[in-house]
Amino acid sequence: MDSWILTIIIFSPFVGAFALLLARRGNDAAIREGALYYAFVTLALTVYAVVRFHMGTSEGGGSGDFVLTAYVPWIVSGEAEGAAIDIAYRVGVDGISIWLLAMTALLSPLAIWSSFTAIRTRVREYYILLLLLQVGLLGVFCARDLLLFYVFFEFTLIPLYFLIGIWGGPQRRWAANKFFVYTIAGSVLTFAGIVYLAYFAYTTTGAITLNLQTLTRMGQSGEIPLNVQRWLFLAFAAGFAIKVPLFPFHTWLPLAHTEAPTAGSVILASVLLKLGTYGFCRLSIPILPDASFMLAPIVAVVAIIGIIYAALAAWVQTDIKKLVAYSSVSHLGFCMLGLFSLKVAGVSGGVLYMINHGLSTGALFLIVGCMYERYHTRDINKVGGLARQMPWLAFFLIFFTLSSIGLPGLNGFVGEFLVLLGTATSAGMSDGIAPGPLGFAYVIPAALGIILGAVYMLWMCQRVLFGPVKEPADTPDTSTGLTRDLTHREKSILAPIAICCVILGVYPKPMLSQFEVAIERNILGGPGVAMRASAGPDPSFPGSDDLHGRHGGRPLHGARNSSTASGTGLNGASGPVGAAAQVVGLAHPASEMVSFNGVVLDER
Amino acid sequence: MSIETLKICGIVILLAPLAGAVLAGALGPVKLHGRSHWPAILGVAAAFIAAIVLFGQVRSAPAGETAAAVSVYEWITNGTDAAFTVDFLIDPLTAIMLLTVTGISLLVVIYSRDYMREHGSPLRGYERFFAFLALFVFSMCALVLSGNFLLLYLGWEAVGLCSYLLIGFYYGRPAAAAAAKKAFLVNRVGDFGFGLGILLIYFTFGTLEYGLVFQMVQEGMTGVGDALTNGRITTIALLLLCGACGKSAQLPLHVWLPDAMEGPSPVSALIHAATMVTAGVYMIARCGAIFTASPIAMTAVAIVGGITALFAATIALAQTDMKRILAYSTISQLGYMVLGVGVYAADSAIFHLFTHAFFKALLFLAAGSVMHAMGGIIDIRQFGGLRKILPWTFLTFMAGSLALAGFPLLSGFFSKDEIIHHALTVHPVLGVLGLVTALLTAFYTFRMVFLAFYGPQRVPEGVHPHESGKWMLVPLVILSIGAIGAGYVNIEATGRSFHHFLAPVFEHTFAAASPAHAAAHGVAATAHAGFWTEYGLMIISGGLAIVGILAAYILYMRQDWLPGLIRASAPRSYRTLWNKYYFDEVYDAGVVEPARQTAHVCVGLDDYLIDGLLWLVTAIVRGIGLLLRPFQSGMLQGYALSMVAGIAIIVLLVFWA
Repeated sequence: MDSWILTIIIFSPFVGAFALLLARRGNDAAIREGALYYAFVTLALTVYAVVRFHMGTSEGGGSGDFVLTAYVPWIVSGEAEGAAIDIAYRVGVDGISIWLLAMTALLSPLAIWSSFTAIRTRVREYYILLLLLQVGLLGVFCARDLLLFYVFFEFTLIPLYFLIGIWGGPQRRWAANKFFVYTIAGSVLTFAGIVYLAYFAYTTTGAITLNLQTLTRMGQSGEIPLNVQRWLFLAFAAGFAIKVPLFPFHTWLPLAHTEAPTAGSVILASVLLKLGTYGFCRLSIPILPDASFMLAPIVAVVAIIGIIYAALAAWVQTDIKKLVAYSSVSHLGFCMLGLFSLKVAGVSGGVLYMINHGLSTGALFLIVGCMYERYHTRDINKVGGLARQMPWLAFFLIFFTLSSIGLPGLNGFVGEFLVLLGTATSAGMSDGIAPGPLGFAYVIPAALGIILGAVYMLWMCQRVLFGPVKEPADTPDTSTGLTRDLTHREKSILAPIAICCVILGVYPKPMLSQFEVAIERNILGGPGVAMRASAGPDPSFPGSDDLHGRHGGRPLHGARNSSTASGTGLNGASGPVGAAAQVVGLAHPASEMVSFNGVVLDER
Repeated sequence: MSIETLKICGIVILLAPLAGAVLAGALGPVKLHGRSHWPAILGVAAAFIAAIVLFGQVRSAPAGETAAAVSVYEWITNGTDAAFTVDFLIDPLTAIMLLTVTGISLLVVIYSRDYMREHGSPLRGYERFFAFLALFVFSMCALVLSGNFLLLYLGWEAVGLCSYLLIGFYYGRPAAAAAAKKAFLVNRVGDFGFGLGILLIYFTFGTLEYGLVFQMVQEGMTGVGDALTNGRITTIALLLLCGACGKSAQLPLHVWLPDAMEGPSPVSALIHAATMVTAGVYMIARCGAIFTASPIAMTAVAIVGGITALFAATIALAQTDMKRILAYSTISQLGYMVLGVGVYAADSAIFHLFTHAFFKALLFLAAGSVMHAMGGIIDIRQFGGLRKILPWTFLTFMAGSLALAGFPLLSGFFSKDEIIHHALTVHPVLGVLGLVTALLTAFYTFRMVFLAFYGPQRVPEGVHPHESGKWMLVPLVILSIGAIGAGYVNIEATGRSFHHFLAPVFEHTFAAASPAHAAAHGVAATAHAGFWTEYGLMIISGGLAIVGILAAYILYMRQDWLPGLIRASAPRSYRTLWNKYYFDEVYDAGVVEPARQTAHVCVGLDDYLIDGLLWLVTAIVRGIGLLLRPFQSGMLQGYALSMVAGIAIIVLLVFWA
């Protein structure tokens, strides 16, 4: 079953959508419960996949390979081996995509559940579209063929276009059009890039292939010249940067968010935006490593501008949804910064940031939805003192605010810290990966964004939750069966997300170590790059499964530091101190660094 | 010391209050209601007992082995072999801090049992309060126990969060909500520097473990084995100092602490006087290796501390809100502590932290008791002569005030004197500032005492004053004993046991780097010290305290027309003091407003420039469409005509070529 589990997961919501299509119109309760049921089935299947993934990787020693793979020829001519055209249905997951898949599968049923009272018209169509949207999202994270990736990537636009355009707010048509046209304009360029990449593969290997495995190997072994990489990078970035959205391509997002129904906003913020960052992380960086290295400073500067700019813009919003939307732009700037540090710490921080942002911002949109259903307004000036009226809502709002502003102990902090750490130490080699393009100077303005993040979120909390009670006339509206404070349904939607936030904040290590293996192998490392990086006493590193043994070849500094460490009077601290001593020992002698740089420059 | 015992103690110290918090928060609203204080009290008591055991372990450890690093679990991996771990560093400094924190917390939690019955917020106030308070104890203990900078940062931010939640406890009051936000944000500004400092430490040394970092600093090496430059270590120290300024309310980031008095009085006592605000001092003392490696940073620390001490004391002269006077006095006393570490007397600073925890917590709790009796009013202009109605409160408040004023032979006297003594030897000017501050401290403290407790009996209208119950008085009495007697753990007669206990922590940092090393700590110097060098300063500072008290007595008891005259003769200075040197106004006009204007500009750019450019792009596309539209008119004749024309052109071209 393992080779088909991903396919079953991806298309299970599709089966659900089809079943809803057959359901009798008008029986709303049955339809929404059916939709929820199918989403939960998908979640259960995903949990099974996560478990299988763990078992598979622990058997294989955590090599970072793609597992649970499936292959069906799609557009193939000639024999399977050495075919002239090799475009296939290929799926598979590694330590990164399995978690993004899990996040999508977790948030989808919650988003469906949150719509129970909010959606009153065209109920059947609504849930069918939500389930279809889920198909596309799940597919993107599993795709191992570039064409398949692109199909899923674009497919997500269609359901969301209708979700915003039909069930949205007053300006929904304009918002849906802007969203659709803007994003598709970018991804057309991405498609051009994909086509060229296929052509390029044909010129070098003699086969038109969009197999990501092959393309990644090609990129990492330096077979794509820098000039080609640069153009391809720009083409890919056109689609992904709009999706992320990276400053200054972000103006569609606040509009789409404000107009979308709650579930649409949740999926949009939590998962859809991640398609952009995932694209950068899965395609641009591994396939185009040299262009990524070269253009990273520009991407980082743009990301930092976005962090500060969007944080400031969020501060003066009076529409809560718009505020959260701008906060997304700011947060995804951090994510991009981490990815383009091109360091294990930074990239795993960036990937974790995707998940954190998905959880906390998704939850924030859910909470705003709860408020909107009761008060029919999202205007900060029209409500106040809600902590007294809705203590549960206040609890969750403060909780997710804290998660979002990176309070240590919750998930947001871990991602933020790793991003900044990776950015700061980008030029070093402590993780055995080639030096990255960024440096400590990038951290300072980015950290300013952390202050601003607290400013606007706490400002919003103060206005909405504290002070004297202020409610619009004739509210709260409980006509749809809501209570004044959150109902059990709403609490059950938010609680699992909150639990995930705590777990990821307190013990993120299991997830992070899976990220790291995958990043070293599939994003940054790859056979070629890693070989260059570890040119030195330990050439067996890339093939070696034993992550912890790979620095054994450099005893010089390690020995110095462990001896000094034991002399500090810190008795009995062999565990962490010894381990930390090794980190210090990692640093390469300067001469090695220089020769390494020389190699890279020559190859370029 | 057995590592296992230490580990268990550390975990109990952390998890017991956390469990208390969770229980109070989760069961409080549904089951416990009025009994919600029990999880908190029991949790904190367990932590206190564990802290005593831990203290015993450290105390009984043989010399040279008083420090231990205890690893708990791997927290965050970072792509290298060394993950960031949750680990404890347990040494005498940790032990003292833990005793202080858990001990004072326990008294405050007990006190709150009665106090919060009447001062709870309408909705679930009681449960919420105890949940937050226990959460605070957890966070503060995490801060103190931490064995690396990352866990320190966790505790650092988490105490800030608890402070935020508790300042905003009466969230219905806009002032409280604003004060909570202000506290969090001002602290975030400090943490901006602090966080960058931590990143720079990692950047430089490749690790965040205390032991390794400090070792490398003392060897003068970076993580890759290069020489550590002065500029780098100074930058790190100054960035850390920035964090300390935020947390310990030092200039120029002190503005949040007076506003924080919007929180309930037990919170002011515990968080904003005894424990959390001392985190900055603790951190500087802990990072002694880093700070002492940079003379510039040490001077900066001393200057910040010395000036803050005097500056806050002057503001306290003109305030009338009892809790705000105490808040400025806290800032001022924290200034002394920072000055203490800045003049290489970290043990004296920690000693002052220890005694200050007693008498300042006592003063806040006693002020809370006054507030309790006065129906929530705390302005000393509105009541007076409370000595008779609130006898216990008066006596305990008096004990705290005498200790704060530095009255001879009380706790504050000994600890403050040590700091001033060291300051005079290292930075004489700052030492003199410290002496002036001591005079002012005595004056403003007793101004408050005389106005509130002496004179004719006056109470606000409609208030029926009553002495507090025993749940409140017992902690007050215990704290009074501490305020009077805590100083005796560190005098010659008791063998300066506090000093000797802490000595191993600072022997390679502050003690070794001190310019006054030989004079202050050398055995020979102490043996030959004459009467005047030994006791002269004590007499001067004790005398200053008495002069300050007498001055307050004359101004507010005997010649009570004098204060009005002084106010009238220097209206501008008075107004400056009353308005706290206009710091809030300057920050508003200089930082907040420009930032908000920029924010509006950003939104404008979004709406007009960026969207305008987008419109332009679409307009070009649309324009091309408009140009081409006439050709798609749908009329057959037109198509036929253009077809003929096209063929004609092609034919022409072919033949022409």
